[in-house]
Amino acid sequence: MINIKINSVPLEVEEGTTILEAAKKGDTPIPTLCHHPALDSFGACRLCVVEIHYGKRVKIVTSCNYEVWDGLEVFTDTDRVRKSRAMTLELLLARCPDVRMIKDLAREYGVKQGRFSEESDNCILCGLCVRICKERMGVGAADFVGRGVDMKIDTPYSRGSDACLACGACVTVCPTGAIDLEKRFSRNEPVPLKSVFNAGMSTKPVIATPFPQAVPNIPVIDSANCVYLRTGGCRTCETFCEAKAIDYDQKDETVEVDVGTIIAATGFDLYNPEEKPEYGYGKYPEVITGLEFERLVSASGPTGGKILINGKEPRKVVFIQCVGSREEGGKREYCSRVCCMYTAKHAHLVKERLKDAEISIFYTDLRAFGKGYEEFVNRVKDEGTTYRRRELNEPIEVTKKKGKLTVTAKGHPALEADMVILATAVVPREDSLELARKLNISLSPDGFFLEAHPKLKPVETLTGGIFLAGCAQGPKDIPDTVSQASGAASRAISILSKDTIMMEAITAAVNEAKCRGCGLCVEICPFNAIELKEINRLGYTVKVASVNEALCKGCGSCSAACLSQAVQQKGFTDTQILEAIRGIV
Amino acid sequence: MLLKGSKDVERLKGELESRYSRFDKEIVITTNATCCKLKKSKEVEEAFSRELKKIASTKKINMRLTGCLGFCEIEPIVIINPQGILYREVKPEDVAEIISESVLKDDVVTRLVYTSPSGSAYANKADIPFYKKQLRIVTGNNDIINPTSIEDYIAAGGYSALARVLETMKPDEVTEEIKKSGLRGRGGGGFPTGKKWETCLKAKEEDGVCYVICNADEGDPGAYMDRSLLESNPHSVIEGMIIGSYAIGSNEGYIYVRAEYPLAVEHVRHALQQAEACGCLGDNIMGSGHRFRIRVSRGAGAFVCGESTALMASLEGKVGRPRAKYVHTVERGLWNKPTTLNNVETWSNVPLIINRGAGWFAGIGTKGSKGTKIFSLVGKINNTGLVEVPMGMTLREIIYDIGGGIPQDKKFKAVQTGGPSGGCIPENLLHLPVDFDELSGAGSMMGSGGMIVMDEDTCMVDVARYFINFLKDESCGKCVACREGIKQMLHILERICGGQGKEGDIELLEELGAYCVDTSLCALGATAGNPVITTIKYFRDEYEKHIKEKQCPAGVCKALFQYSISTDDCNGCGACRAKCPVEAITGGKKEAHSIDLSQCIKCGVCFDVCRFDAVKKVPLKGAVL
Ligand SMILES: Cc1cc2nc3c(=O)[nH]c(=O)nc-3n(C[C@H](O)[C@H](O)[C@H](O)COP(=O)(O)O)c2cc1C
Ligand code: SF4
Ligand code: FES
Repeated sequence: MINIKINSVPLEVEEGTTILEAAKKGDTPIPTLCHHPALDSFGACRLCVVEIHYGKRVKIVTSCNYEVWDGLEVFTDTDRVRKSRAMTLELLLARCPDVRMIKDLAREYGVKQGRFSEESDNCILCGLCVRICKERMGVGAADFVGRGVDMKIDTPYSRGSDACLACGACVTVCPTGAIDLEKRFSRNEPVPLKSVFNAGMSTKPVIATPFPQAVPNIPVIDSANCVYLRTGGCRTCETFCEAKAIDYDQKDETVEVDVGTIIAATGFDLYNPEEKPEYGYGKYPEVITGLEFERLVSASGPTGGKILINGKEPRKVVFIQCVGSREEGGKREYCSRVCCMYTAKHAHLVKERLKDAEISIFYTDLRAFGKGYEEFVNRVKDEGTTYRRRELNEPIEVTKKKGKLTVTAKGHPALEADMVILATAVVPREDSLELARKLNISLSPDGFFLEAHPKLKPVETLTGGIFLAGCAQGPKDIPDTVSQASGAASRAISILSKDTIMMEAITAAVNEAKCRGCGLCVEICPFNAIELKEINRLGYTVKVASVNEALCKGCGSCSAACLSQAVQQKGFTDTQILEAIRGIV
Repeated sequence: MLLKGSKDVERLKGELESRYSRFDKEIVITTNATCCKLKKSKEVEEAFSRELKKIASTKKINMRLTGCLGFCEIEPIVIINPQGILYREVKPEDVAEIISESVLKDDVVTRLVYTSPSGSAYANKADIPFYKKQLRIVTGNNDIINPTSIEDYIAAGGYSALARVLETMKPDEVTEEIKKSGLRGRGGGGFPTGKKWETCLKAKEEDGVCYVICNADEGDPGAYMDRSLLESNPHSVIEGMIIGSYAIGSNEGYIYVRAEYPLAVEHVRHALQQAEACGCLGDNIMGSGHRFRIRVSRGAGAFVCGESTALMASLEGKVGRPRAKYVHTVERGLWNKPTTLNNVETWSNVPLIINRGAGWFAGIGTKGSKGTKIFSLVGKINNTGLVEVPMGMTLREIIYDIGGGIPQDKKFKAVQTGGPSGGCIPENLLHLPVDFDELSGAGSMMGSGGMIVMDEDTCMVDVARYFINFLKDESCGKCVACREGIKQMLHILERICGGQGKEGDIELLEELGAYCVDTSLCALGATAGNPVITTIKYFRDEYEKHIKEKQCPAGVCKALFQYSISTDDCNGCGACRAKCPVEAITGGKKEAHSIDLSQCIKCGVCFDVCRFDAVKKVPLKGAVL
């Protein structure tokens, strides 16, 4: 350990520490421009200068690359230091008069423009981009080109680099925003990583927490895009993680768990409105979906909660409901059930944030069925939102002329709009069929999971121990989902809470000697209680049916179907029934 | 011819001496250095060869082709020994006469001897004032050595220091001897050489590997001492390096020399081969078990690559850009290993110190600066050339006694020492001795030995602008202080020279100069303010004239004056009219001429050609200059 003093305050730091690191430990601010904790120090910007005193000597050194020694005395804010920093900033300001962060720093040091002849660069040649590309990414796509006052940062022959991974590390470290990766540096197109949670309206880093309040609330590495996992370079996050928690060896894994019951609560997808080109979604950036609007107004969303379209606040907002829902004779004949209410909420939010906004909602039938819903709709109407009825078979068209959107609907005046929000249908998840097959449950014609009975068994499926909750079973709003989920949970618990479970008294049993292994019963069993298994019969391996008694409901379908009368209901074999009849007769 | 120790060296030396003593006469021709080659010395050499063949049967003549003897102004030089007669600017047609008069007879060809600016003739080299006041210990052997011959070097006492060191001294004793001598680096910094070796040795003990480098990057405008040494006496540098390698225990050395010095590279490479063939380099040097080899690396000629860390980066194959030296290169230098870097001249001094003793060396010079220093004396001076003087000689002695003063009886104005990062010293400080500390005290520095003399026709603002412009081109551009600071200083100086100077410019220049010193990463930036600061310090009035009165007293800054022909003085000879490149001068025969100012590009040709001083520089504001 080494004892030093920073601004007369004693401090103990490890050997090999730089003054800058020591100052950070002691909470003493020192401005820097070319320093980055993940990179070797460069010592080029000279902004981090401090004064050191030893014996009678006083010297100016750069703190980012000066290693401390025992007894060192450092002063970080003397007149001489401030003067040097101020001149550095004045010179940089003359070079880059339009760079925000230089302007801010200059102001902090009381620097004014005007004494030097100005240029209009925005690169301060700190070299962070060059160094991160070389030192960390192991690529070296760009470098310093030329010397002295002619020095600039460029790729070989000023042509976009093939070697560039378009990883964007340079853009991230550049303090002045001078790098145009796409146009200048790279021949490979940068692919910004879209935040799925923000409906693709913002980007995300390669390592990120999936969304605020994620469970567990831990960042994950996007392994397809991580430079280390792609090429072996980078590992910058590791440098920053003080908890040393980064583990590049973690892999996706398939976990097998033994369970007693399953609740299928896999949610839903949203209808892709690009399938209906008349709404202009995907064509005009001003046309967005309800979910996208939801992210737009969220405080943790891409605009921090500001309603902005193309960077501007919209004045005229049009909502269109039933986009993809209630298609008579179509694939989605059902009502998505949530759109009426969330559209009303969205209209209310627009009004709340943009007082003068003109809002219209195209609806077909207003279904405000829940508790307090009708009242809410009325309030939204009172706030000034215009509800406009349209027939579903009368298409609405969104067009754009001279940068302005127009919404045309039969029986209504053509409406100008700055923003159009589509209430898209709730649709079954893409993988619902696959999951249904895996769980051996059924789908209803609309593609959602089928419940055992629409009225009496709305959370059960026909397969014992498997229950349903939420929109996996059909569109529903949050209160309904919560109620159904509670029901499913209690059903599941009622099975799991018992040490033993009561089976049907009458279940099927297979007479293995008779069974030919034809598999007819396996197909016929509505509860999936029968499988074929292999047995040894007189030295030969043969397949015979086998009944899972926990699943068998004793319905008798199998015994009725069995051609060799090998499956019989326990206690109700054909012989027994016939004998009983004979006894009675 | 393998040399296995001092006995072999002595024996060979003796053999060579007796071989040379059998000659009747010796003709020394300076033809093995760039400066004389440029003046067609090769043709002189060929003429001598031809003529000597004719008299081969009558006289035994040795022709010795040497490198530079320093007095570049009068090359090619021919010296006839043993008389010691020096002939200047010899041409092939002079050769026959020299042979018949001075070789076959003992007479002097008077028309070819050197005549000083004051008109005195000197037949003997030893009497010429240029040489008389010098103390040529490093360059002294140049006139008895053909740089491509290791034998000449050995005959002059070469490699005996190495033999002595290997046989009788322990490495730390060598370092101790160098420390005692007081030798300081000749590359600019003036760091004590022995101390450097000592630190390196200490760092090497931990690391195991260390390197020796010779800095021959020499980028200062007007300076060519190092080139001359490498061209004219390469073995002295190599021997110094081998001794150094023994002292610090290094097995690998480099000579970093700029590619613009092809002859130096050729001579050094040749010398290295010879040294290896003689066992002075290699796996078992002179049978001592010491292993050392030297490689030549050619730099691309960036001034900043002379800076130690940039030089090492360049040697490693990286861009020649300095790094912070908070950890010194003697501890972590080339490839992060302890490295001893010394200048060409520094290395050349080492064998001398070993041979003649630290005490002898320390007896020359001043308290803080020992030995001699070579300067390249250029600019407005009569005797241009390389001069070697003992430390402590005053600038006045160098300029007037050795340099022969200012041509055309113009007035001395300033002398610039220390290269672009040095400073300008005015007349009233000419009593300053050449001494590391004295020159630094005056705001200049010893530097590597450039010495540019300026006369009254020099504009000091323009001089500052010239050097800052040089530094602008040579700054590596890494750090803000140097790159942006120099750029802005240049803008301001250009403005002042262009008549756009304003109140506060001088103060701003001073502020920038001081800032560069404080804040730059390497010594290039940290000394970049010197030309500006010293010219302001000693010639402030000139700056003020430029700024306040928009006048350039020396008549150099073109934006501040115009040419005009005085009708009284012009006799219409037409010389200027004939020479003007843009035909801006009109006037009939025998009539006063005049200049069309709208066409004039101020090239100054008319001013130079007019024999009647009729062309005047007229300030745009103010009186005739
Ligand atoms: C910009 C700059 C250029 C330099 N150029 C040279 C050079 O050309 N030759 C040289 O020997 N030293 C040069 N130096 C000095 C070297 O950095 C170093 O101090 C020197 O080579 C050490 O050798 P010495 O102790 O024998 O002088 C230069 C320094 C700077 C800052
Ligand atoms: S002072 Fe000049 S030459 Fe030295 S590192 Fe800075 S920019 Fe480069
Ligand atoms: S942060 Fe230290 S020099 Fe830039």
